[in-house]
Amino acid sequence: MALIKKSTLPTVATELSVPVSDFASLCSILQQSPSANERHRAARELGAFPEASAVLAARLPLECDPTVREFIISSMLQIRDEVTVRSLIACLKSQDAGLRNEAIEALKQLPTEVGPLLSELLLDPDPDVRIFVVNVLESLRYPLVEQWLIQVINTDPHVNVCATAVDLLGEVGVKDAIPALQHLKLRFPDEPYIQFAADVALKRINQA
Amino acid sequence: MADITISDEDFLKFREFFYRKTGINFEVNKRYFVDKRLIERCHATESVSFRAYFTLLRFEANGKELQALTNIMTVNETYFFREEYQLKSLVNSILPEIVARKRAAGDRSPIRIWSIPSSSGEEPYSIAMYLLEYWPGIALWDVEIIASDIDTSILVKAKAGRYSARSVSQLPNVLLQKYFRPIGDDYQMEVDLRSSVEFTLVNLNDPLTTRPYRGFDVVFCRNLLIYFDDTSRRQAAEVFFDALNPGGFICLGHSESMSRISSLFKVRKLADAIVYQKS
Repeated sequence: MALIKKSTLPTVATELSVPVSDFASLCSILQQSPSANERHRAARELGAFPEASAVLAARLPLECDPTVREFIISSMLQIRDEVTVRSLIACLKSQDAGLRNEAIEALKQLPTEVGPLLSELLLDPDPDVRIFVVNVLESLRYPLVEQWLIQVINTDPHVNVCATAVDLLGEVGVKDAIPALQHLKLRFPDEPYIQFAADVALKRINQA
Repeated sequence: MADITISDEDFLKFREFFYRKTGINFEVNKRYFVDKRLIERCHATESVSFRAYFTLLRFEANGKELQALTNIMTVNETYFFREEYQLKSLVNSILPEIVARKRAAGDRSPIRIWSIPSSSGEEPYSIAMYLLEYWPGIALWDVEIIASDIDTSILVKAKAGRYSARSVSQLPNVLLQKYFRPIGDDYQMEVDLRSSVEFTLVNLNDPLTTRPYRGFDVVFCRNLLIYFDDTSRRQAAEVFFDALNPGGFICLGHSESMSRISSLFKVRKLADAIVYQKS
């Protein structure tokens, strides 16, 4: 026995029963195959088809296998169209915590695509969605992030949404945020965490 | 030759193009590094402006210039026995686990290791030396080492096996004498060790080149993903997932963490190193 070298790599054994160029069959495998391996391979190949986003988006919330979900999201991130973004946003409302977190992580990788929708999302009636949106803001390198956070702490009626936003504002904020932070303290005078977090943010901004 | 300048708009345009082709993303703080190499290639191809060069780069059918540019844009600095704790982990923990699994399955096929990026060969040859010197199992098992890089010129260098004193400075003297002979200021690797590693050209961002890579037990991918953005890292993780056998291991550089990239692998704290394992 020893270190051995083969002169060439083997060609890949066929991983799927259909050609990787056969869009309809790949969709069918993703939707119907009982094999998670086959579904993950179909999801991977569908990333090469811009028209696949609706199929991938429809499968994502139904898919139980975490590996297949990873590959579905990766293919959606390759396609990065509006269907992709809207379906990931819809996942923020899922009862499945794993799926919600995966959607947040994926949305963070789509700053250009998510940016135009954020104003609308920050008005979503569900405070949990607004909290997730603020979490997404955390890593978006988008010029309006600070203005959105100021808008949240100025107007959002839910204390947990404001608490999430104020934490982030302390990290990214500049002096423009000071009036909003002072206003926030007045809006929630009986919430110790808001008082504490706003003071920390003000201190950081003043020291910057 | 006229002075060639790269405008902000040129830089952004090039950055987007190069990212799509290779997965490598240059932040603005790498501007000097990128501009210098772009201007070098403009001169080498006798392009009169960045615009002319960019047209050549995008529309050249054989992709030769893109490869030449990729070669000079990638960083190829490494040395033998770099991050040796992972090599120790390979022989002390990873390979014994793989062997036990293969024995239990009655599988006598070779153990397969993929080193990517290979750079000039220091990592894959270090793995080969470590197995020969410190893993008794090499007497009982065949091991295949495949080493890949996106840079064609560095692959030529790797196959040649000639190294500077700096490259071999961490090697124990006994191994330096056993596997190398001095040539001037350099060291030439002996032919048996050189012939134990297969070198191949791979672009992790190109499914056509990664598709044949399957059936590996261990992947070494150290200090590459730090040059990728989140999306490319995720895609690379999926290439490794598909390349590995169930239960296969991946070793990353000390500053890299698969947990921040993908949930496809579980963290394993082994005696000598933290590695990642395909479920």
